[in-house]
Amino acid sequence: MTPVMRLDKVTKRYRGQLALDNVSFEIPPGVVVALLGENGAGKTTTLRILLGLTEPDSGEAEVLNLDSRKQGEEIRRRVGYVPERPTLYEWMTIAEHGWFAAGFYPSGYLAKYLELVKQFELPADRKIKQLSKGMRAKVALALGMAHEPELLILDEPTSGLDPLVRREFLESMVDVAAAGRTVLLSSHQIGEVERVADLIAIIKKGKLLAIEKLDDLKNDTRELTLTLNNGAPYLSDVPGEVICGREHERQWRLLVRHLDETRLDSFRSLAQVRDLDVRTPNLEEIFVAYMRADEEPRKEISR
Amino acid sequence: MFFRIESSNGLAIYEQIVRQVKFAVAGDALKTGDLVPSVRELSRDLAVNPNTVARAYRELQGEGILAPVRGTGLEVTPHAEKHCAAERVNLIRERLRSVLLEARRSRLELPEIRALLDEEFTRLEKKGKAP
Repeated sequence: MTPVMRLDKVTKRYRGQLALDNVSFEIPPGVVVALLGENGAGKTTTLRILLGLTEPDSGEAEVLNLDSRKQGEEIRRRVGYVPERPTLYEWMTIAEHGWFAAGFYPSGYLAKYLELVKQFELPADRKIKQLSKGMRAKVALALGMAHEPELLILDEPTSGLDPLVRREFLESMVDVAAAGRTVLLSSHQIGEVERVADLIAIIKKGKLLAIEKLDDLKNDTRELTLTLNNGAPYLSDVPGEVICGREHERQWRLLVRHLDETRLDSFRSLAQVRDLDVRTPNLEEIFVAYMRADEEPRKEISR
Repeated sequence: MFFRIESSNGLAIYEQIVRQVKFAVAGDALKTGDLVPSVRELSRDLAVNPNTVARAYRELQGEGILAPVRGTGLEVTPHAEKHCAAERVNLIRERLRSVLLEARRSRLELPEIRALLDEEFTRLEKKGKAP
């Protein structure tokens, strides 16, 4: 299947500061992908490079088989994009803004836009400058969805919004996904991501640490809590890949990928291990562990 | 029936949906011949990914609990009730096992655990009805 988007060895620096470091991925059509990372990790830069709004220093970016460097305008016409801080024309009314935007898209845009405005319960004849933050966000979403794009890109769509508006955003994403189209979003709202995402990409300091199915990530990660007798086992004794470990008094807490359950009993019976508890962490705990993991380059996590 | 999804739960969301359907069938909230909501409807209602709901339904179909009705959707099969009642016993057994494991880790002996179990059970009986 041809990917909907593709980054190939993309690197970007801002004034010498590394924003993206050799990032590659491919996203198949019809999935909801969430980009997770701290502020400044490179999430927005990734989105902007895909959309052709920022040029990478090296590497290739493609969206819908179009080259992000050369065909950015075409890409932006075909995809829906809701930026974190949408720029809207303050003096226009909601209806006028749709009419204005319709000029850039094929016919049918305005009708669909007005339908969304109604669905989002927005006052069509009110000026943008008189709108609340939640209403503005919904206008931006309606503008980004009115051409029914095969790919919808949302940058921190729900940050700073009240629970009801957030819920409407989630429902809209679910609708887009249910229609078999693709959604790419960046977010801090891990609980929300856990509900809507198929694929998770974790970025830290410009590096892509993991990109995989949310189910796989969850099924394949365990939290081990060890209570130690005198002395500690070697980390290499742990039957799995240790992502992150913390020590507290006589206890260790480890986040482990690809735990080999068949070797767990022999690990449990090591002289240094007094007690061992294994549980399944949630996405937030997995994310925090990745963020806390030491800086040295880890083995590439293959999909 | 009503669903409740907890995203911070260690359990995968599709698994939560599967379990809740089974509990609903076992508890008579869903009866043979009842239709479950469509994938689109339920995913929107719960604000979860439609693929997740579809996966849960696929699993329930695989276990013979739901079956497609031509042109209408998925319905609860005649054999579902018995199956789900058995399944519910299994789920309770699993939870009991994890409680026992924790009790053993706290160095509780079997007589003590039995005593605790009896005590709690009597307490519930007194309240009249198990929650």
